[in-house]
This record gives sequence, C-alpha cells and structure tokens, in this order.
Amino acid sequence: MLTMNEPMGRAALARKVLPYALLSPAVLVTLAIVFFPMIQAAWMSLHDYILWKPKDFTFVGLKNFATALGDEVFWISLKHTVIWIALTIPAQLLLGLATALLLNQEFPWRPLARALVIIPWALPSVVIALMWVWIYDANYGILNEFMLRLGLIKASVPWLADPDTALYAIILTLTWQGFPFFAVMILAGLQSIPKSYYEAASLDGASTLRQFWHITLPGISGVLITAVLLRTIWVANSIDVIFVMTGGGPGYATYTLPLYAFIKARTNLDFGYGSSLAVLFTLMLLGLVVVYLRRAGRGID
Amino acid sequence: MPKLVSVALALGLLAGTAAAQADETVRFWYHFDNADNPMSELVAKFEAENPGIKIEAENIPWNSYYDNLYTSIVAGNAPDAAMVKMFAQPRLVEMGALEPIGDRIDAWEGKADLQDNLLNLAQASDGNSYYLPVQYVVLYLYYRQDMFEELGLEVPKTCDDFRDAAIKLTRDTDGDGQTDVYGFGFRGGKGGHDHWGSLVLSRSGVDFSKDSLGSEAGVAGSQWVVDLFQKDKVFPPSAPNDGFKEVTGAFKAGKTAMTIHHIGSSNGMVEALGDAVSAAPVPECGGGHWTAFGDESTAIFSSAQNKDAAWKWISFLSSEGNNKEFNMATGQLPVTKSDSENWTLHEKRFVDATVGSLPFANLLPNTPETSDFVNTVWPVNMQRALTGEITAEQMNAEINKLYNP
Repeated sequence: MLTMNEPMGRAALARKVLPYALLSPAVLVTLAIVFFPMIQAAWMSLHDYILWKPKDFTFVGLKNFATALGDEVFWISLKHTVIWIALTIPAQLLLGLATALLLNQEFPWRPLARALVIIPWALPSVVIALMWVWIYDANYGILNEFMLRLGLIKASVPWLADPDTALYAIILTLTWQGFPFFAVMILAGLQSIPKSYYEAASLDGASTLRQFWHITLPGISGVLITAVLLRTIWVANSIDVIFVMTGGGPGYATYTLPLYAFIKARTNLDFGYGSSLAVLFTLMLLGLVVVYLRRAGRGID
Repeated sequence: MPKLVSVALALGLLAGTAAAQADETVRFWYHFDNADNPMSELVAKFEAENPGIKIEAENIPWNSYYDNLYTSIVAGNAPDAAMVKMFAQPRLVEMGALEPIGDRIDAWEGKADLQDNLLNLAQASDGNSYYLPVQYVVLYLYYRQDMFEELGLEVPKTCDDFRDAAIKLTRDTDGDGQTDVYGFGFRGGKGGHDHWGSLVLSRSGVDFSKDSLGSEAGVAGSQWVVDLFQKDKVFPPSAPNDGFKEVTGAFKAGKTAMTIHHIGSSNGMVEALGDAVSAAPVPECGGGHWTAFGDESTAIFSSAQNKDAAWKWISFLSSEGNNKEFNMATGQLPVTKSDSENWTLHEKRFVDATVGSLPFANLLPNTPETSDFVNTVWPVNMQRALTGEITAEQMNAEINKLYNP
C-alpha cells in the first residue's frame, strides 16, 4: 500500500486512514458482542456442552443437528413458528395499512390520534404481556366477561390454558403490539406521494378504489416490502411476549423455535443442543436476511 | 439466546478479573419475594459485630436465580456464598462449585440449636456437608373451613375423601349456570409437581426408581389427577397454566375451596379470608403419605476468597435471633430450636399443620435430573396430559425416561 516516501504524502495518508480509524471502535465492539458470540454459538452447537458438566466439552460433529431433526418438539416448534409468522405479519400489515389510511385523512384531533396510536408499540413487551394475561384471565378477564354478556360464549374460556387457543391468543396480542409500526411506516410513505397524482386521477374520473390501487399502493410498495421484511425477522425472533404469557405452555402449545432454543440452553442448561437449535433457525432466517440486505444495500447506493 | 448468554459470560469474566475483591468482602446472593426485606439490617448488625468484614448482599429475582448462579459459576464470577435449595445441590457438586463445610459445622457452637434432622436432610449424596439450613417449610392442605361447614364435610383424610369433597365443593353459588367455586386449585404450571407428588408419589411403591411410575399404581395416580380435571372438573379451567400467583390468588378470592401450599402464604390467606381458612396435612393416597419438604440453605462456593468470613456470615444467619429476623421476612420457619419456641409470626393452626406433616415430608431425588424434572419435564407433560394431548401413561413414561434413561 502507501508508504511515507511516496508522493501522496502524510496528509493524504491520514485522509485515507482516518475513516477506518474512526470506524474501528464500532467495528471492534460489533465484532466482540455480535460476531464473537455468534461464532461461539456455532462452535458450541457442534459439541456436547451441558453447563453443569463444565469439564465435558466433547466434539460431536453434527449430532445435535441430527437429534433436532428427529426431535418431536423441534417439529412442533417449527410448525408454531410458521403459524406465528404467517398470521402475525399479515394481520399487523392489514391493521397498520387501515390505520395509516385513516390517519392520513383530514379530521380534527388528527395529531392526537397519531400520537395515541403509537402507544402499543412504545410499551415494553413485558407490560403488554402482563396486561393481556389479565385480559385473557379465565376468572376475571375482561374478554370473557365481555363475551359472556354478549352471549357469544356459554362459559369462561381459559384462553391461555387451552392448547387450541393459546397460540392464537398470543398472536392477537402481538398483532396489537406491532401494528403501529406498520401504521407509522406506511403513513410516512403515504405522505411522500404527491397530491397532484390524485388530482390528476380524479380529473380523469378514477374512482377512489382505482386511485388506491394505481397510485397509493405503488407509492408505498417500497416501504411495505422493507417493513414486512424487517418485521418478519423481528417477529420470528421475538420470545419475550410468549415467555411472559405462557412460558411455552400448556405443554408445547406455544413453543416456537427461538423459545425452544432458549429453554433448552437457559433452563435445561444444555448449551450444545440449544445452540444447534438457534443455528438451525438462523439458517432458516438467512434467506430473508439476504433479501433484506440486498434491498438495504440498493438503498445506500 | 445462547449469544446473549455468551455475552453475559464474557462480560462476567471481564468483571471477575477487573474487580479484584477487597480482602474481607463477602458477596452473598439471596432471593426474597418480600419487598421490604430486612437484609440491610442483618448486614448492618453483622458488620457491627465483625469489623473488617463487608457484606455485599444482592437480591436476585427468583425466576432466574439458578440460571444466573450456574452461569456466574462457569464465568468464574460466582458469589462467595448464596442461598441454595437441595434440588440444585447435585449439579453444584458436579460442577465442583461447593465448599465442604462439615468440619466448620461440627466446630460451630450453633450446631446444637439447629432443629433435629435438618442437617441430615441437607447432606449430599457423596457424604459431605455443603449446605447449612436457614429456613424450611412443609406443604400442607389449605381449605375453606366455612365452606366445609356449610356443606357438612369433613377435612379429607384420604384421596377418596378428597375427591368426594372436591366434587361437592365445586358449585354454582349464584345460580347463573356457571361454576363459581372449584373444589381444588391445582398448580399445573412450574412448581406444581408438589401437588402432583402428594396425590401420586404417596401411593405405595410409587417413586422415581426404574419403571415405578410406569407401574399400574403409578399410572393410576397420574390418571386420577387428570380425571379430577377432565371428568370431575374440580380444578379451575385455567389449571394447566396456573402458577403460584394464580393458585393463591384464586384461593384468596374464594374461587377455590382447597389448595396445597406452605406456611409462607398463610399470613396473606388470613388477611384475605380471616378465620375462614384453615389447614391440615395433605390426604393419604393409595396407601401412603407424601408431601414436599421445602428446604432452603446457605452454602459457600469453592471459588470464594474469604471462606472464613463467608462462614461467619452464613452461620450468623442460622443463629438464634438472626434466623428469626431472616424468617420474619421470608415468612418461612426458623431452623433454630430457640427461635422456633414462642414463634408468633404465623397462626398456630398453620404451624400445627406443618409439624403434623413433617413425618412424611420428602425431598425430590438428590440427583442432577431433578432440575429438569422441576423446570420442564414435569410441567410440560402434566400440561399435555391435563389438556388431553397425551395420556397419563405417556406422561409417567416421560418422567421415568428422564430418571432412568
């Protein structure tokens, strides 16, 4: 590379090196707290490593992965993860889209409504989880009370204790928590669409529906795709709400893959197997991450 | 998640080397549910009596107490001493994390004041003593005296009586066609193995040895519990997920007529229900009697730098007067004979139920598998059995598989 004797000189060299020097603390910190643990997790997944047997760290190759593929709970958790993502994301998206379209209309108190809608997103997950545990409570919950009075159900339903309803009850909670993210992102997208497009369209006699289809949707499609990708990764990984609401129960009814990995590692202290579950899930998510990075990269260029 | 844990480990290592301990500091971990805990007063008293020793007492949340303890040990940043339960002992011994304190206990003047048998119960399977008892409880049956009287029922002595009473106590009290009171508040979530134990492990010949739970008596026990929920419907419908908070809450609110817990909740129960709540030993089931012994000890870790100071501190906590202070906060029972006499914190009927249950109080097997049994294997399989996803036989088979692979 460059040396002092070359004509570029000291100042030019400094200019070349300075950005890297300024970036290096961030890179070092990222390496230490993101990449090092990631590699460590991958390394652990190839070993028998149970935390309370610290002397026993035997290399077993892909045994943990083979065990996972033959593990009933792995498949149950995977199925739940798919349901979890496939229901939560569209529900959040549709609710967010509807909210954004509403908030984009002119009406009194609009700034207040825009501020209020962000509340579910701003609350800590643990608070949301505890709040919804109470809403769903079989004895005192407001949901049962409400449905009983309306005559929709004959007896209280233990929403979180029934394996048929528990996962969907949590999905509803997560939908409520996450839709403001979509609403705010989409609202920003809506406001970037020039008013003149709509004026031109209405002059040409386009109906509201056609305006939505041909102007609004194309106008926000970029925002939509980025938001869906980001949110899918977040929702797929999120275990806090499930952990607080049911801890995975009853039985395996609300186990998702990240939760299963967490319980295996943290509660059963089986770090080898827990890591292999986490690595497997990371590989599955990697496809999404690649798509996202490509889009993000294009944005920067 | 392992990522996060590794970070914790890495940071723990850094902290451990960076903060070289001052010569006479004892780092102590404990867990109190009670918000107004007296640890600071006990620390102040100890530090006044032992100049030169500083106690850094840290209250660690119960839900992640052992996760934090194990990871801190692996990271080389373990506390010097901590509150510990028996179920964790086999793992801690396996990790080589505990300091044997048998000689110190033998030489200690407070030894004679400890309740009989507590030291034996706390002994490790390798014959060493690592634990010094600091409090104890025994689980017994809470019941609503007023409801029993109203229906003319006797306190159940056997499982048959118990089922009979639970069915009668499950009632629609306001005539709207819905059950308002359930006979028994069963804990199907984590920690509920004690309930199951009283109803199943009591049966003669049923324990954790090979194929015992798979035997006819073993399966019949779990099936009986499942039937109470599915057929007799004497547990609240939320039972599969219910933990301590839900079970005691429902009992205090009059939603259940019986439940099983220890003396630690008695003051709260009396506050809510007054004389309407009473207690008795759990019923005898299938020819035997079993209830859970709730132990709590203190231990010194082998990595401690000031073992003498740590011993002074933990033996201080198990000495006359101090042990009383300690248990006033935790709501459990003192381990010293002197503090047990004239014990006025709990009402007599609950102390009597505790003492009456001692003869058949048991600990879970003293093996490393017990942690997994308590944390995942029991709750998951009990919940699946209660909700009909697996049979009682499959549930018992899973537990048998854990203990006898």
